[in-house]
Amino acid sequence: MVENNEIKHLGDLVKVELKEPEKYVKQVEHILNYFERLDKVEFASEEQLRKEVSFDNLREDKHEPFLTDGRLLIEKLKKDQNNFIRAPKMV
Amino acid sequence: MNLDISATEYISQVRNGTISAEEFVSKTIDRIHAVENKIHAYITIDEKNALDAAKTIDKKIRAKEKVGACFGMPLSIKDNICTMGLKTTCASKMLEDFIAPYDATVISRLKAEDAIILGKVNLDEFAMGSTTEFSFYGPTKNPWNTQYVPGGSSGGSGASVSALECLISLGSDTGGSVRSPASFCSVVGLKPTYGLVSRYGLVSYANSIEQIGPVAKKVEDIAFILNIIAGRDPHDDTTMEKKNDDYTKDLDAGLSGKKIGIIEQMTGSGIDREVLSATNKAVSKLQDLGAQCIPISLDAVEHSVAAYYTIASAEASSNLSRYDNLRYGFDFGTEGFEFKAYVAKVRSNFGPEVTRRMLLGAFVLSAGYYGKYYLKAQKVRTMIKSQIDEAFKKVDLLLAPTMPILPFKIGEKIDDPLTLYLLDINTIIANLTGIPAISVPFAISSSNLPIGIQLFANSFEEKKLLQAAYSLQQTANLPKVPI
Repeated sequence: MVENNEIKHLGDLVKVELKEPEKYVKQVEHILNYFERLDKVEFASEEQLRKEVSFDNLREDKHEPFLTDGRLLIEKLKKDQNNFIRAPKMV
Repeated sequence: MNLDISATEYISQVRNGTISAEEFVSKTIDRIHAVENKIHAYITIDEKNALDAAKTIDKKIRAKEKVGACFGMPLSIKDNICTMGLKTTCASKMLEDFIAPYDATVISRLKAEDAIILGKVNLDEFAMGSTTEFSFYGPTKNPWNTQYVPGGSSGGSGASVSALECLISLGSDTGGSVRSPASFCSVVGLKPTYGLVSRYGLVSYANSIEQIGPVAKKVEDIAFILNIIAGRDPHDDTTMEKKNDDYTKDLDAGLSGKKIGIIEQMTGSGIDREVLSATNKAVSKLQDLGAQCIPISLDAVEHSVAAYYTIASAEASSNLSRYDNLRYGFDFGTEGFEFKAYVAKVRSNFGPEVTRRMLLGAFVLSAGYYGKYYLKAQKVRTMIKSQIDEAFKKVDLLLAPTMPILPFKIGEKIDDPLTLYLLDINTIIANLTGIPAISVPFAISSSNLPIGIQLFANSFEEKKLLQAAYSLQQTANLPKVPI
């Protein structure tokens, strides 16, 4: 059972102010009930899909300034002030 | 001027001087103005730059200078692919003012070949949806019947190609988002193998499953554009140098001696009667062409929707945490807000589907539930992969209808997210396993709505896939789009 306060808690986790949490309760519960079937699957192998890439295939770990129209990226960001981003107060 | 030509025909006409790039681009813009109030495929139209670029290309042609392979063909781009200097909104309020400071690799490769970006097209917000109804800018309509959905999430791509508002479009396919609109709008859509096309500049939703893919009128156009966009990119270390030499070569190789597996779980109960009959007809046409068709059972398919939505939601909730409206976003001052309250306030502007997936993602990843959902989903993914590997030991290609049902009316299923998720059952196996898949327009229903047939091949076997798709395309004689 998913409840209002649980949805609100998930909202906190994903940093969203949910205006109508009750709207999501039924839908999320309905979908999670469907996901339950995953827990009943019997697996022949515990293996998980992964792809290995050798280090030789990765690009060199080298700093390259990201310039766009000849300017540094940070200068193009919103709310930029002398290479700082202005944010609301934290405490 | 006839706008209903393939990209391949366009190139030969511009080459031999029958038409100019400027004429074609200008007529396409007129067409956009004529039909957009009915279709709403575009979010941004870059009219002036497109016309200027076309003039420059015509000049190069006249001066007999070297011209790129695209000869100024007009393209539309899904609005979650970054285009320098042009808005990239992801159809979200959160990015309504975002102008990308760089081009995605696919865009710079296309521009280098003299393609023209006409504009950015509609999608479900952040590519989350199957109908293009979850766009902040309102739904795109199906050119075959404007009361119906065009599929999604790349609905703007499918509709803009189908309604002759561009020659080719790029979409992105995370769970069928290129193939679903291709099927619903009667055009061709390819999801390439994971790692064939660079994702650099594609706004992240679910990195382990998504790929950029083209939508076009003809299979040969898909092969042409794939030649340009495919291949290793140092900016995306998941790309691999496994490009086949030339996808346009030997497209007419035929199907003689090829074995095709018909996926039982996608051609049984729960599928629309007319979709099933079109599928059976496609199978018999392929047999006439010399292919041997056998049933193949992939029983893990029944768990695929649950596994897919668990993984996609988990990756989405992680990826979307970056949107705090501080580095980029819409205009909303920070004065008077405490940090957390500000972020939560601006993030309440995400639409309902994105919010739902972030909630689901947070849930399946949370302590105590991880083993029950996410871990199991990953194991199901492995299980599907091993069944697909087994299948490809027996057959060259797999076949199923792209969508289990016909296009439906706008608004009909919008309040029932699980029903919408279940519509992806035929497409998501390609994303979970990384294999390529293509939707080819094959039939029109008695209600005049398109039906697409889907073919799958093993990883990096795009050439074989396109050859089979080309053969299938040659067997279908379809009416023109009624708009």
